[in-house]
Amino acid sequence: MSSSSPKISFEGASKQFDVRGNSTLALQPISFDVKKEEFVALVGPSGCGKSTVLNLISGLFQPTEGKVFYDGELIRNLNRRVGYMTQKDTVLPWRKTAENVRIALELKCRNVGRKEAAERTAQMIDLVGLKGFEKHYPGELSGGMRKRVALARTLIYEPETLLMDEPFGALDAQLRLIMLDQLQKLTSQRRMTVVFVTHDLAEAITLADRVIVLSARPGRIRSITEITLPRPRDVFKVRFSEAFATLHETLWDELKDEVVKGTDV
Amino acid sequence: MAHSSLGIILFRIIVLTLAIAAWQFAPFGRGMELWVSRPFLILARLWEWVDDGSLWPHLFATGSEMIIGYLLGCASAIWLGLVLGMLPKLNRVLAPFLAAFYAMPKIALAPLFVIFFGIGLESKVALVWITVFFLVFNNTLDGVRDVDRDLIQVLRIMGARRSEIVRKILLPSAAPWIFTGMRIAVRYAFTSALLAELMAANRGLGFLIEYHSGSFDTTGAYAAILVIVILSVGITEILSRIENSAGRGR
Amino acid sequence: MTIHQPTTEAFQQSQSKHRRANDGVAATQVLLAAALLAIWETAGRYLNSSWISRPSKVAEQIWTWIQGDLLTHIAVTGSEMLIGLSIGISLGVISGILLGRSGLLAIVMRPIVVTLYSVPMVSLAPLFIMFFGVDMMPKIVLVSIVVFFLIFFNTFAGVSKVDNDLVAVIELMGASPREQFQKIIFPSCMSWIMAGIKIALPYALVAAVTGEMIASRQGLGSIITRAASRFDMTALYAVLLILMVMGLLVSEFASRLEKWVLRWRGADE
Repeated sequence: MSSSSPKISFEGASKQFDVRGNSTLALQPISFDVKKEEFVALVGPSGCGKSTVLNLISGLFQPTEGKVFYDGELIRNLNRRVGYMTQKDTVLPWRKTAENVRIALELKCRNVGRKEAAERTAQMIDLVGLKGFEKHYPGELSGGMRKRVALARTLIYEPETLLMDEPFGALDAQLRLIMLDQLQKLTSQRRMTVVFVTHDLAEAITLADRVIVLSARPGRIRSITEITLPRPRDVFKVRFSEAFATLHETLWDELKDEVVKGTDV
Repeated sequence: MAHSSLGIILFRIIVLTLAIAAWQFAPFGRGMELWVSRPFLILARLWEWVDDGSLWPHLFATGSEMIIGYLLGCASAIWLGLVLGMLPKLNRVLAPFLAAFYAMPKIALAPLFVIFFGIGLESKVALVWITVFFLVFNNTLDGVRDVDRDLIQVLRIMGARRSEIVRKILLPSAAPWIFTGMRIAVRYAFTSALLAELMAANRGLGFLIEYHSGSFDTTGAYAAILVIVILSVGITEILSRIENSAGRGR
Repeated sequence: MTIHQPTTEAFQQSQSKHRRANDGVAATQVLLAAALLAIWETAGRYLNSSWISRPSKVAEQIWTWIQGDLLTHIAVTGSEMLIGLSIGISLGVISGILLGRSGLLAIVMRPIVVTLYSVPMVSLAPLFIMFFGVDMMPKIVLVSIVVFFLIFFNTFAGVSKVDNDLVAVIELMGASPREQFQKIIFPSCMSWIMAGIKIALPYALVAAVTGEMIASRQGLGSIITRAASRFDMTALYAVLLILMVMGLLVSEFASRLEKWVLRWRGADE
């Protein structure tokens, strides 16, 4: 099992944005840990600060108050040990699919030979179901396909921690399940720590070891729930189990509460 | 923030002063000085022109060539652009002919205009006119093409006459394109007036440059260029202010 | 300050819509051209005025030139363009990137560059001729400067408009600043650079011809001035025609170059 010191640690970390004299509190001070090799899902209504949490872990933002630790060290600049799949489409439009996917392997810091890079690229493209589209430009792909390119691009260099911000929202139900399955297999195989943001509760429960529910803006942790479903989970069938249904009901009540609060304001 | 921008302005002034001082006082010999001249000499020459009034006819010449050519060019371009915009079939037929003319360096027409119209104002106005015309025309066409065809149909069914359609739909929606074209065209009007004068003229700022360069009078040439620089910067400033206030009104 | 923005997909789509021309249009155009030429020819023959000339004489003139030294003249103008373009584009891109990345340098240099940019460089042609003589050099300098400003501003704009999120993604993956530049910043401003190049190509032709018209022994511009001074209208019309063709070729080339370099900007539905 994983050792006791957490991979990621939030200690009273909050985030406030000051834009032209107006300040918005995006995230109230929150504290939680993510254990090594754990799969944590973050759910919450729109605007609750889920993406901000990921940005804090990646080092793109610095907390206004409090501290964020990675592997016991304070995160001071960009955290290169995480792979971040953002909500925004950041696929490079001037590169074909294969070129986009292999970009991480082109970097000197990784020292990967061309042949190996080509093999791994082909593997990844196959994994995300884009075989045959290697030579397409992003402009020729649908939104969902571009998301899959971004996924392949992030997974290919096997970062020790994975941050994902609503990666499967644009995919149809079938494809989504397939991707969830692939993700689960890959992350457990490679022993990755994952922080997964989604608004789809079923997705969260299917994949996660723990589900953190954030409150409406400005976000704070409303609850942390342990998902005791046995592993390995059959992504396609697990949602029909009773245990799943109970978990879903409980969490859904909490989530619904926050969503309503958010819209009241 | 304010502190650093003051610092920047100060820094620029210092750099500028140093540069001008270096130019003025650098110890190069007469040979070099003939080529590069000195700031004070240039300013003195400019003052001479202002003082004895010899600058104004040239300024006036270039200015009037610009303005007349610009107005004629814009008017004809907007009119033709609207007409062709509403007759897409005719537009398509004429398109390659117009494109061919547009691709030709208009400056090459300058001697032709001089032969036909003489060395005076008319030939320069002609060049400015044709340069401005193509620019504004293209923009007007784009603006008209941008209009929602369905909207025009609806109004036509309602019984609107052509002039009403033009006034109420075409012009307002093509207006931003037209204005953009008109703004860009100001610079081109200035440039083509100068170029036309370079070719053959006996008046104007372009003429001044050509005249003084031709007689290797560098100081005179630089003085003329200084006037052009001042005018250019002035025009650019005015244009960007118009652009800003137009943007704000949106 | 006009920065020439890259074409948008909407514009490209409208272009292709208009390109769905049927043969009816092409036929009308051919007929129209033929008719105009016919009118010109008959008028020319009937009036027999050297002012108007006629297509047959113009064609004859061009043919004579081709057998003579027309190609040399075209080569001269072309070389002035090419060399000037190479210099202008390389310097423009380098300066644009340097100033675009270094906030400090940009702030300091900005007013100088803006002032210089607002001056129509082509009007300074006599100055360059005074400095460099009547051969190719002053035209090359002129073309270089004109091209430089265009490319510089576009590159500068492109660099400043780079999507920082793209840079952040690659930085997170472990890219060094050099790799960030190579893989993200530079390709990202290519749209802007290409838009600048597309405008700069025809401008190079204008600058070269202008310089030649003021003073030159060779080049297309020199043919114009010689013809004009002799009041040789046929020759004048002939050169204009040649310049029209050259202008079209240059524009077409520029347009295709942009499309090829930016081929990833395809139509997306």
